[in-house]
Amino acid sequence: MASLSFRAIQKSYGSTKVLHHVDVQVGDGEYLVLVGPSGCGKSTLLRCIAGLEDISAGELWIGDRRVDQMAPRDRNVAMVFQSYALYPHMTVRENMGFALRVQRRPPAEIEAAVLQAAKMLELEHLLDRYPGQMSGGQRQRVAMGRAIVRRPDVFLFDEPLSNLDAALRHHMRVELKRLHRRLETTIVHVTHDQVEALTLADRILVLNGGYVQQFGSPRELFDTPANTFVAQFIGSPSMNLLPAVGSGGEVRIEGVEGALALDRSGPFTLGVRPTDLVVGSGPLKGRVDVIESMGAEALLHIELGPHTIVAQVPEPLRVRVDELVPLDVGVTHAFDRESGVRL
Amino acid sequence: MARRPSTPEVVLTHAAIVGITMVTLYPVLWVLEMAFSPSQSFSMDLSPIPSEVTLDNFRDVIGTFDDEGRWLFGRQLLNSVIVSVATAVLGLSLSTTAAYALSRWSFPGREQGMAAFLVTQMFPGVVMAIPLYLLLDLFGLLDSRTGLVLVYATTSVPFSVFTLKGYFDTIPVALEEAAMLDGASRWMTFRYIVLPLARPALAVTGLFSFMTAWNEFILALTLMGSEDAYTLPVVLQGYVGDFGTEWGRFAAGAVIVSLPVMALFFALQRHFVEGLTAGGVKG
Amino acid sequence: MILWLGAAWGADITVWHAYRDAEEDALEAAGDAYQAISGDKISFVQIPFDGYTTKLETTIPRGNGPDLFVASHDNLGKWSAMGVVDPPSTPVEGHLPVTIEALTVKGRVQGWPLAYKSLLLLYDKALVKEPARTTDALLAQAKQLPDGVYGLVFEAGSPYSHGPILHAFGARALEPDGTAKLDTPEQAAAYAFSKRLAIDEGIVPAQPTYVVMETLFDEGRAAYVISGSWFVPGRARDIGATTLPVVSETGEPMAPYLGVDAIYRTPDAEPAAAGFAEFLSRGEGARIRSEQGGQAVSDASVTSDDPIVQALAAQARNAVPMPNDPNTSSAFEAIARSLLSVQRGARTPEEAAADAQEFFDVFSRPLPPAADPRPWLAFLAILVLGGLGLVAQRARDPELRARVSRHASDYLWIAPAGLSMSVLVILPFVTGAAVSLFAHRAGEWRFVGLAHFLDILLARDFPITSPLSFVFTLGVTVLWTTVNIVLHVSIGMALAMLLREPWVRLRAVWRALLIIPWAVPNYITALIWKGMFHAQFGAVNAILGFVLMRDGPLELDWFGSFSTAFCANLVTNTWLGFPFMMVVTLGALQSIPRDLEEAAEVDGAGRWFAFRHVVYPMLKPALLPAVVLGSVWTFNMFNVIFLVSGGEPNSSTEILISDAYRWAFKRGNHYGYAAAYAVLIFGVLLVYSRSANRLVGKKVI
Repeated sequence: MASLSFRAIQKSYGSTKVLHHVDVQVGDGEYLVLVGPSGCGKSTLLRCIAGLEDISAGELWIGDRRVDQMAPRDRNVAMVFQSYALYPHMTVRENMGFALRVQRRPPAEIEAAVLQAAKMLELEHLLDRYPGQMSGGQRQRVAMGRAIVRRPDVFLFDEPLSNLDAALRHHMRVELKRLHRRLETTIVHVTHDQVEALTLADRILVLNGGYVQQFGSPRELFDTPANTFVAQFIGSPSMNLLPAVGSGGEVRIEGVEGALALDRSGPFTLGVRPTDLVVGSGPLKGRVDVIESMGAEALLHIELGPHTIVAQVPEPLRVRVDELVPLDVGVTHAFDRESGVRL
Repeated sequence: MARRPSTPEVVLTHAAIVGITMVTLYPVLWVLEMAFSPSQSFSMDLSPIPSEVTLDNFRDVIGTFDDEGRWLFGRQLLNSVIVSVATAVLGLSLSTTAAYALSRWSFPGREQGMAAFLVTQMFPGVVMAIPLYLLLDLFGLLDSRTGLVLVYATTSVPFSVFTLKGYFDTIPVALEEAAMLDGASRWMTFRYIVLPLARPALAVTGLFSFMTAWNEFILALTLMGSEDAYTLPVVLQGYVGDFGTEWGRFAAGAVIVSLPVMALFFALQRHFVEGLTAGGVKG
Repeated sequence: MILWLGAAWGADITVWHAYRDAEEDALEAAGDAYQAISGDKISFVQIPFDGYTTKLETTIPRGNGPDLFVASHDNLGKWSAMGVVDPPSTPVEGHLPVTIEALTVKGRVQGWPLAYKSLLLLYDKALVKEPARTTDALLAQAKQLPDGVYGLVFEAGSPYSHGPILHAFGARALEPDGTAKLDTPEQAAAYAFSKRLAIDEGIVPAQPTYVVMETLFDEGRAAYVISGSWFVPGRARDIGATTLPVVSETGEPMAPYLGVDAIYRTPDAEPAAAGFAEFLSRGEGARIRSEQGGQAVSDASVTSDDPIVQALAAQARNAVPMPNDPNTSSAFEAIARSLLSVQRGARTPEEAAADAQEFFDVFSRPLPPAADPRPWLAFLAILVLGGLGLVAQRARDPELRARVSRHASDYLWIAPAGLSMSVLVILPFVTGAAVSLFAHRAGEWRFVGLAHFLDILLARDFPITSPLSFVFTLGVTVLWTTVNIVLHVSIGMALAMLLREPWVRLRAVWRALLIIPWAVPNYITALIWKGMFHAQFGAVNAILGFVLMRDGPLELDWFGSFSTAFCANLVTNTWLGFPFMMVVTLGALQSIPRDLEEAAEVDGAGRWFAFRHVVYPMLKPALLPAVVLGSVWTFNMFNVIFLVSGGEPNSSTEILISDAYRWAFKRGNHYGYAAAYAVLIFGVLLVYSRSANRLVGKKVI
C-alpha cells in the first residue's frame, strides 16, 4: 500500500505529445479514476504507471520509491487488462498463482493466497477451469483475483468493466467498491464511462487531448466543473450549455425571448444541468419536442429558440409533446465563451 | 450457427474429395506395388496391383548387418532418428528466440535481419556442399552426427523463423504485459507464456525441421564417412546403382522412410491445422 | 622385404566402393582372404553410386578419403589431374592389354584393373534360336516375331548405347587428344542409322529406357536387348548373350565402350594398401571375383565358364575403351542432344552432326583468359573499407547508438540463429559464390574475374533464342514458377475449403492421405510420374485414350515438344506441391470466423462471391509468406526437372538450377560457370522478393 505521485509527467511518441504535464498526488488507499474520451491519454498514463510505456519527462513515485526507471516487475503494481489477458493455457488456479510462482514462493503459500482471493471473489468452484470455459463475468473476476493475489502497492484497472453487459457491469461496480473497502489499496481505474467514475472514485482525474482538465472528488467535479469539457463529460444527461449575455442583473440567452434574473454581465456560456431546469413556471418559453420516459423520471427535449435543451423532471408528467412550457433555472454555471474555463 | 448443407452439396463434396484423393494416391500405389512384389524391376503396368505379394524387399532392406554382425539397418535408423530429432530440437531452439525477438521488438537492424533470413532461402544448395564440407573439416565435425545436425538445423531456421514469427504476431501482447506485471522476466514470459501458447506452431515447424533432416541425402553422404554413420536416405539411395536400380528394395525403403513422417503428421495434424499460420488465442 | 612386411603387419586399410550384391560379396570375400594371409585389416565402405564421384573428389584431396577405392575408369583423366589417385609404383602386369590402355593417363597406369564391362547382345532364348550376327539378320528375325513382341530394345537415346554404332561407322566420340570431330559424315551416317534402327524399322518400342527394357524382356516381349552383364541377374526368362552384331551397311562390327573397374590408391594411403590392391586385381583375388562376383576379370590367366563372362571376353576383343579424358562428358552431352533430335525427326543427321560439334566446342571451349586478381583485391579492399566506414559513420549517430544500447539485450535473442546462419549458410554461400570468379578444367583453377557473368549475360555462347542461353532458361523458369504457384495455391485452397466443412466425414483421414505426396521421398515419385508419362506404356496415355474414347492408348510423346514436356513436369510438381499449400490454407482458415462468410451469404452473396470477397482477402496475408517461400523453392526445384523431362526436348524445359547442374557435372565440370549461374539465380530471386514486397504494398515477409 502506498501513495502515488505524478510529478510533471510528459509522454510523447516521436514528436507527438500524448500527455502534457500531469502533476497529481494520490493518497494511500485512494480510489483514483482516470476518465476521458477515447484517445485522451488515460490508458497511456495507466501503462506508464505499470511501466509498459516509458515516460518522456517527469517523475513517478509509488510511496517513497521513484519507479519511472524501473522494470514493470519491480514496481509492485498489478493490472487488470481490458481483455483480462488471462493465460489461456493455465487453469484459474495457475493463472492466479502465476505471479507468486514467478517469485518462487513455496507451493503451500501460493495455494493459500489463491484460495483466499478466490473466496473473496467467489471463485472457489472455478479454480480448475480454463479461461476458455468461463463466461465474461467469471473471467473478469479471475482477472481481479490474479491482481489481488499479488498484494501490490497499487492496482491498475484498464476499463475492466467495458466488456460486460449492463446488469453485470452494475453488479461488478458494487463488487469493486466492496473490494476496495476491504483491501484498502490504492487503485487507479481507467474508464470512459463517467457513471463508473462518479460511483467508484474517491477522486477523479479528467483528461482530454493529453491535458489534465480537472482533478478532484466526484462532488467537486459535479458541482464545480472546471470547464465546459468537464461540465459536459461528467453527469448524465450532459449539462446544457447556452450562449448568454448578461447586463444589469439580467441574463439573456441568445436568440431566446425572456430574461433570467442572474447577476452577471457580458457574454458568457451558461451551464444548466437537466436536473436544475424548472419546468412549469419561469420567464422562458420552450416547446416540448421529444419525451423520453424512464419510469420515475422523464427527459424532456425542449426547443428553446434555436437551441435544444434537456430537462430531467419527475414523473408523472403534466406536459405533452408540442406543448409550450414555461421554464426557469435553478443552479447555474458560468464559463468563459472563449476558453470554456469556469468563471 | 452452422449452415445446413443441402444433400446434393454433401454428396458432391464427398465425391470430389474421394476422387481427388484417389488421383493423388494413384502414383503412390506403384511404390507400394514395387515394394511388395518380388521383382526388382520398375513397374510399368497400368494397374498398380501386385500379382504376387512378398515381404522380401522389406526383409532385405531391414535385415542388413555390418562386419561385426551388428544390425546395420537398426543403427542407420537410429542415426536418422537421432539426427532428425536433434535437428528439430536445435532448429526450434535457434528459431523460436529469433522469431520472438523479430515479432516483438523493434531494435535497429530488425528489418534487415528479416530480409537476411529470407535471402538465405534463395541460395541454391548446390554451391554450398563443398564449402560446408571444408568448414566442418576445419571444425573437426566431419563424420559426426553433431556436424550434420548443425548444418540441418541451420538450414531449417529461416522457414521456422517465418512460421513462428507469423504465429507470435497473433498472440495478444497483453498476455506478455500481464506476465511482466506479474513479475516475470522477459525470459520467463517467453518460457511460461509465449512458448506454451505457440505449441501448435512449434509442432509444425518441428515437423518441418525434422523432415529437412529425415529426407536429406547429398550432405549426409558427403559429410558422413562410414556405413554405420549413414542416415536412411543414404541407405535408400544405395539401391540406385550405376547401371540399374533395385526398384523393389528402393520402394520398400521409401515406404519405410515415409511411414514415420505420415505417423508424425497424423499425430500432429490437429496442431498443424491451426499451427501453420494463424492461431487466434481466444481467451 | 621382410622388414617392409613387418612394418605393414596389422595395418588398417579402408576401401570404398559402390558395388552391390554378388560383386560386393566377392569383394568382401577377397578382403577376408587377404586379411587371413597378410594380417592387415580390410574394411569396406559401400557408397551409393549417386554421389560417389562427388564424395571422392571432395574427401580425397583433403586427406579424408580411404586408402583405396574401386571405381570405373571414365573419370580418371580428371582424377589424375586433381591428385585423387596415386598411381602404382610397381609395374601392373598380366592383364588384358585393353584394360591397361583404359587406365593409362599421360603414359602412366593409374590403378590396378579389376574387371571390364561392356554392352552385349542379349536375347530371349525362347524367342531367338540362333542369335543374329548382322543388323540385317537381326531386322529380318525381328519382323518374323509375333505381334506385341519387339525385335530389339536398347537405350537408343543414350550416347553410351550409341557408341557401338558410332564405332561401326568409323567415328568416335572423342579423339585421343581430347578434341572431338562430331560433324563428320561418319557421325551423320551413325545418327541416320540409329534413327533407322530405333524408329523407322518399327522394331524398337518408343522411348526405350532401361526400365522399359527390363519390363518388356521380363514379359517375353523383347527378343533382343543391347545391355550389359548387369542386366542379367534377376531376369525372369532364360537369357542368352553374345557379341554385338556387324552393321550391315558398313560391314564393321558394333564395338561397344569398354568400362574398366579398377582399384586405386589415394595419395594418403597406408603403405600396405598397395599389397591388397595387387592381391585383389590378380590371381587369387581375381579368381574370387570371377567365381563369386561373376565379373569378367582383367587378369588374363583367370578363365570362367559363365556364358555371360565368355561373351564379354569375346566382346572385349572388339571394344573401345571408354575415353577417360575430362572432355568425355561434354562430347556425350553434345551427342545425346543431337541423337534425340534426329530420332524425333527435328533435325537431319547432317544438321545434328553440325549441332553436336557446335555444342561440344562451347562445352569444351578454352578457359577464359586469366584476369589479374590485383584490381579485384583492391576493389574488395575498398568495398570492405567502405562498408566498415559506413558502419563506423552510422555508429557515430547518437540516436542510433542510444537505440542500439537500449535494445542491446534484444540482440542476444537473435544471436544464436544469426550466428549459426552466418557461419553455416552465408559463409558457405559466399565461398561458393566466389567460385564464380574462377574457371575450372580438370582440376586446374584460374582466376577470370567476371568473365563467366559476361559470357552468360551477353549470351556469348548461345544466342538468346537458344534453349541453352540464360535468358531463355530464365524465361522458362519464371513461367515454371508462376504456373506452379498458381496451381499449388488454387488446388491447395480448394481442397482446404472442402476439408474444413465440419460435416465432411473422416476429415482427419483425408487430410493425412492428401499429404502423402509430400511425405514420400520425391526421388521415387518423380520417377514414377516419368514412367506414367511414357508414350507407349504410360498410364497417362492409357487413361487419356480411355477418356477420349480411343481404341487404344493415346500415343502422345510427352517429351517430344516443349508444351507437353512442360506439362508433364508441371503435373508432377503440382502433385508434389499442393499438399503444402493445402496445409497452410487449412491453418489460415482457422482464424477466419465462419459467421462473416455466413453473413455475406445471408446478404444474398453466392458462395463464390463470399469466398472471393470475404474469405480470400482474409486468407491473403496469411498465405503471402508461404507463397513467397514456395515460389523460391519452386524456382530451385531441381529433382522434378532433372528426373521427369530431363530438359527434353532439346534442353527447352530446363530451369536455371538444373542447367547449372549440367554445367557443373555434365558439360565438362565448368564449376565456375555453374557458380555464376547460382549467383544469378540468387540475384533474380532477390529482385523478385523485393518487388513482391512492393507489389502488395507492404512487407510480405
